Amino acid sequence: MGYNNGIIRWTKIATVLFIAMAVVADVFGIVITKYIAYCWADVDVTDVTRVAIMAVIFYLGTVGGYVVLFALLKLLSNMSKDKVFDRANTNLMLIITLALVAIAIDCAVGGFIWNGAWILTIVALFMGLIVMSVRVVFDKAITMKEEMDLTI
Amino acid sequence: MIIVNLDVMMAKRKISSGELAAKVGITQANLSILKNQKAKAVRFSTLNDICKALDCQPGDILEFRED
Repeated sequence: MGYNNGIIRWTKIATVLFIAMAVVADVFGIVITKYIAYCWADVDVTDVTRVAIMAVIFYLGTVGGYVVLFALLKLLSNMSKDKVFDRANTNLMLIITLALVAIAIDCAVGGFIWNGAWILTIVALFMGLIVMSVRVVFDKAITMKEEMDLTI
Repeated sequence: MIIVNLDVMMAKRKISSGELAAKVGITQANLSILKNQKAKAVRFSTLNDICKALDCQPGDILEFRED
């Protein structure tokens, strides 16, 4: 049990670090967007509109990132409270999946300005697929647990 | 659907929930689940103990009714 709690603790720390990274990315969002636009996407320096669109896409992406990270933090908190096979966890996984799909759509739109965003779309969709698969397993396990609990 | 007529049998045998739970070796909460048709399954061992405690057949406790 202690071993599992250790994993949960370290995963929580990693999630908090990712949230901190997202905050830093938001603070320097304009600088990052300009860097991507001018250095990677070869956007003309005078083309302010495309940079602005990229900035909007970037910030929308980080909103999705926050949803994923906070849902993950709540999921890990539930796990540490031994609330494992609970419908609240499957709902959180659904939220994570939907947020990942939203990020994928956001990145797909961004792909029209910078091609590299397509890779992020595929990565987000792949992660969503994994989370959704885990959700299905959890859902099945919860149903089985409920049946076991009601076996007298 | 399967109906559990445990309360009818208990009334016939004049036995309380607490007494039956103690005789069968299950908690009163579980006995209540059984009586209130909330149970999803019954173990043969539990059914055996209930029949023993109430001196009856499984058919006296369980009944099939069309939905």
